[in-house]
Amino acid sequence: MNALFTIARREFRSYWDSPLAYVVICLGFLALGVVFFTNVSGQGFWQVDRATLQGLFEFAPIGMIVLVPVITMRLMAEERSSGTLEMLITLPVRDSEVVLGKYLGALGLVLVLVASTLIYPIAMFKWPWNLGAIDLNPVFSAYLGLVLYCAAAVSLGLLISSLTTSQSIAFFLTLLILAALWILGVGAEHTKGTLSEVLAYASTRSRLEGFTKGVIDTRDIVFFLSITVLCLVFSFRALERRRWA
Amino acid sequence: MTTDVMIEAKSLGKRFGYLKALDKVSFQVRRGEVVGFLGPNGAGKSTTMRILTCFIAPTSGSATVHGIDVFEDPLAVREKIGYLPQRAPLYTDMTVWDYLEFTSRIRGIDAASFTNRLKQVVEVCGLAQVLGKDIGTLSHGYRQRVGLGQALIHDPPILILDEPTADLDPNEKAELLKYIKRIGKDRTILLSTHNLHEVEEACARAIIVSKGRVVADGVLDDIRAGQGQVRYTITIDEQQALRGSAPKAAQVLAALKALKEARGVRELPTDERAHRFEVLSSDRVDLRAELFKLAFEQGWLLLELRRDAQSLDMVFRNLTKGDEAKDRGRKPEEEPVDDRESDPGDDESGDDAAAGDDEPDDDDDDDDDESDDDESDDDDDEDSESDDDDDEKERG
Repeated sequence: MNALFTIARREFRSYWDSPLAYVVICLGFLALGVVFFTNVSGQGFWQVDRATLQGLFEFAPIGMIVLVPVITMRLMAEERSSGTLEMLITLPVRDSEVVLGKYLGALGLVLVLVASTLIYPIAMFKWPWNLGAIDLNPVFSAYLGLVLYCAAAVSLGLLISSLTTSQSIAFFLTLLILAALWILGVGAEHTKGTLSEVLAYASTRSRLEGFTKGVIDTRDIVFFLSITVLCLVFSFRALERRRWA
Repeated sequence: MTTDVMIEAKSLGKRFGYLKALDKVSFQVRRGEVVGFLGPNGAGKSTTMRILTCFIAPTSGSATVHGIDVFEDPLAVREKIGYLPQRAPLYTDMTVWDYLEFTSRIRGIDAASFTNRLKQVVEVCGLAQVLGKDIGTLSHGYRQRVGLGQALIHDPPILILDEPTADLDPNEKAELLKYIKRIGKDRTILLSTHNLHEVEEACARAIIVSKGRVVADGVLDDIRAGQGQVRYTITIDEQQALRGSAPKAAQVLAALKALKEARGVRELPTDERAHRFEVLSSDRVDLRAELFKLAFEQGWLLLELRRDAQSLDMVFRNLTKGDEAKDRGRKPEEEPVDDRESDPGDDESGDDAAAGDDEPDDDDDDDDDESDDDESDDDDDEDSESDDDDDEKERG
């Protein structure tokens, strides 16, 4: 346990020792600000003219599709290519602790990013401005959905990163898969019948829709959690494979 | 835990696909021994060490470290071991202090004993000046020291060091060996290298591996004696003679070959105006008198005559012959390119320091860093370069 948190802490700290964390957070804020205050999305905060943050929650996951791979690409790929993995593994740590520690470290940064978006509801509806009475429940559920989505996305990124030694390949592959899972939802909207259902079933976008509307569906929670667990288990296997290869 | 055998490998085998990296490797290392693990690159040194540290699992056979089976309890094994992998891969974004703290935390050392241990490690490894620096900015030598410090932080009874002196300049090498010797007084150390000098300097015993097999295992003198060969180096002036005309290389070679006791004679390349030859013979006779008489009778000017009792270098080459030539299909970094072991007999000739720096060496950058960081080493860099050059030439 101790080793796990030591690894997680190191991982989290190393983001702040490099420009990465700052770049990611700046980019995230910039993109979110543009989407929030202008009408590029067709759902700009001022244009909708209601006390809602739905626009924010629809676009935050899209931002994550780009930012999560940036954060996760180095997790294992860097360790493997630089050889530090050997150093880490030969310390008295379990493989599972390495995987989980790295996962928690990266998730920590992503959650900082998610938490930093809280400034929008607070600034708009609490202090310094109070633009109306907002229904807080959809905000809570949307944050729950966003956190679950991030948990799944980071574990996917970790898995891809542990399958390759190249950070750029890890980045693009994670980006591609996250984007594909998102776009399936767009497909679901434009198709009918069984196909639409199947697409919606697999799409992260469709899964998140409920959360943004304030509906917490157990099936959606299970969906994201099972992706997380599955990817973590496969990452563990990928790490363990070195022993026999 | 009271057993005297600290490391035991029992017919370890390891296959990477079709490639047999280890083939029934067996050896024992006892308490308090400093053992050199020798072999050309790709012979299986690192693989063995990775098995002992439970980084990879053997395909067959078993190993125990401190009486603990590597299969049964890898974590307990790793707790007993301090391990420095090849090239000391460290987190370059951390400071030395942070890194050592990180490893000690993972090893479950509490803050109080960490401060205590840190003091000792810093002293033993000479890290005081760089504690606050980022590892990424350190020279290779310092990185190795940090790696060594990391391996020592929990005061382990067993140290496994994989080529700790590779890529270091001679000063750094000597210093690191000094540290290792100091550390080795109360620890069991398995040290891999392909440099025979280091083994002679730091280790009492050597295990020589080649092509995944143990080809020799024992006290250095025994290994040497087992070969029963002595090497003579004889240098004859090429431009003038005591009597008559200056000798031709072929002439000298023929005369040397005619000696009864000479088993093998070959000319060594020289950049001086002289012929240099290597004569091999049994260690039961002393050829020096014969060689001098021969030179005198033929009227040659004898410039140098040396008997290499320490022909461990030859022993090594004999034992691992053919290993370098054979492509073992390893990853690039482990390819058997190496012939770098320097010749013990060649140290004296290091004074022709002007030799060019054309040795292909991917670590030039590190050398530069080194000179930035530690100016006192500058003067000797050139010497080291020429030493290596000489070795290249000798090998032809």
